[in-house]
Amino acid sequence: MTAMLSFENVELYYDHVYALKGVSIEMQEGETVALIGANGAGKSSILRAITGLRKIHSGEIRYMGERLDGTPAAEIVRRGIAMVPEGRRVFPYMSVKDNLLMGAFTRTDKADIARTLDSVLTRFPRLKERFGQSAGTLSGGEQQMMVIGRALMARPRLLLLDEPSLGIAPKLVQDIARSIVAISRDEKVTVLLVEQNSRMALSISNRAYAMSTGSVVLSGNSRDLITDDRIKAAYLGGDV
Amino acid sequence: MEQILVNGLYLGAQYALIALGLTLIFSLMNVLNFAHGQMYVLGGFVTYTIVSQLGLPFIVGLIGSAVTLAVVGAMIEKFLFRPVIRRSHREESTMLLAAGIAFFLDAVILLLFGEKQRGVPKIINGVFNWDFRIIMPYDRILIGVLAIAMIAAFILFMQYSRAGRAMRALAQDRVAAQLMGVDVDRYSMIGFALGAMLAGLVGGLLVTITGVNLGMGGPTSIKAFMMIMIGGAGVISGAIAGGFILGMMESIGLTVLAAYGDITYLVIFASLMVFLAIRPQGLMGKPWG
Repeated sequence: MTAMLSFENVELYYDHVYALKGVSIEMQEGETVALIGANGAGKSSILRAITGLRKIHSGEIRYMGERLDGTPAAEIVRRGIAMVPEGRRVFPYMSVKDNLLMGAFTRTDKADIARTLDSVLTRFPRLKERFGQSAGTLSGGEQQMMVIGRALMARPRLLLLDEPSLGIAPKLVQDIARSIVAISRDEKVTVLLVEQNSRMALSISNRAYAMSTGSVVLSGNSRDLITDDRIKAAYLGGDV
Repeated sequence: MEQILVNGLYLGAQYALIALGLTLIFSLMNVLNFAHGQMYVLGGFVTYTIVSQLGLPFIVGLIGSAVTLAVVGAMIEKFLFRPVIRRSHREESTMLLAAGIAFFLDAVILLLFGEKQRGVPKIINGVFNWDFRIIMPYDRILIGVLAIAMIAAFILFMQYSRAGRAMRALAQDRVAAQLMGVDVDRYSMIGFALGAMLAGLVGGLLVTITGVNLGMGGPTSIKAFMMIMIGGAGVISGAIAGGFILGMMESIGLTVLAAYGDITYLVIFASLMVFLAIRPQGLMGKPWG
């Protein structure tokens, strides 16, 4: 079975500082894969490379059997990849409704978009209550739900989540984690999750890659990694 | 009193349309379009050519101005601003470019249309007179109503159309808009074309009342910048508020202050300075409404 998404020896640098040094990873359709590692390890760079926000300098990214790197960002969305960016990046002066509709920007069938909107609002009832409100007035947790909903509006096959627990009240991190599990199950969507909260990431993913200074240093089943001594020492920070 | 209000409203509607175009371009591309007044003048001359020279109906002239300026705006974005923004991260670069385009358009207008004041024959005759409290020629009423209708159409377009939503998204968060699949180059071009088109439309509207001449470009740009400074740069509601406030101030000034000489703009500038010292971000200062 060919991988849904693969990186082969991908290198990427910003102003001559390496962000990715020969990274190779692979994902199968239907999996939830976590990328864990400290700040600056290169996790977000992987997502930026996939979405076309950053050009890679060498190596190859393949998606659904086709070359992905070099594809314009807008086309990448059209091919079924949606991202929940770090720091949420809501459109603060637009209503929740318009934010969600922006998620479906590449789609044209209005009736179909309305159906997806319905399912997103059923999944996140809070968004229904806030439907006409400016996104900037929502709480951090509500904003995070909204941007996950916004990404779902594209009806993606591959969902990229960049630090969804960052800046969210600890109580809500659980909710977000549960939503991610439910989404991957209900929507049959493949999930690539970048997290500094390694414990959360490992507990909801099938497999994981641990990264450090631009390289993959460890990979395996999340269930095994969560008890791995090296992972415990480097990423889980003792007993949390 | 009623006369002052109506005059202010009429003037304000034109001004608001000009400011809307300027603020749209600013919010989408972070470009201060110093050539906005010249685009307005070009729009006036296109309507003049179509109506006075070719003898076609006014509405054809107005559409001609809109189309011409949309094309000019799209070209300016694609071939001038886009490459400069790509190569230079300094804001001065686009400011200089915009100033250069202003001089360039002045030269083009001089070559094509000459330096004379031009106008078109009255599109409607007659004067509305309500008991000598409000006196207003019908053509001014028509132009004012058209301007208000265009403002409404622009707001509806930005609020409810797919392209309008994309442009608002782009103005608020460029990266997030890209992640939604918005083609940044394409919508920057559409936005610039739309902004230039609004300037051209006002030129086409006002040539029927005040005529048009080469010297109007610079002062119009300055007024447009004043409006968005009053209202808050990059905000639709701010541009509209700024336009109507400036129009009203001018109308009041020309009536009340006329006795003291031609000091309306002196007073307006002085009050603007005081106002900006207290509220530098303008009335509705935020990136986009």
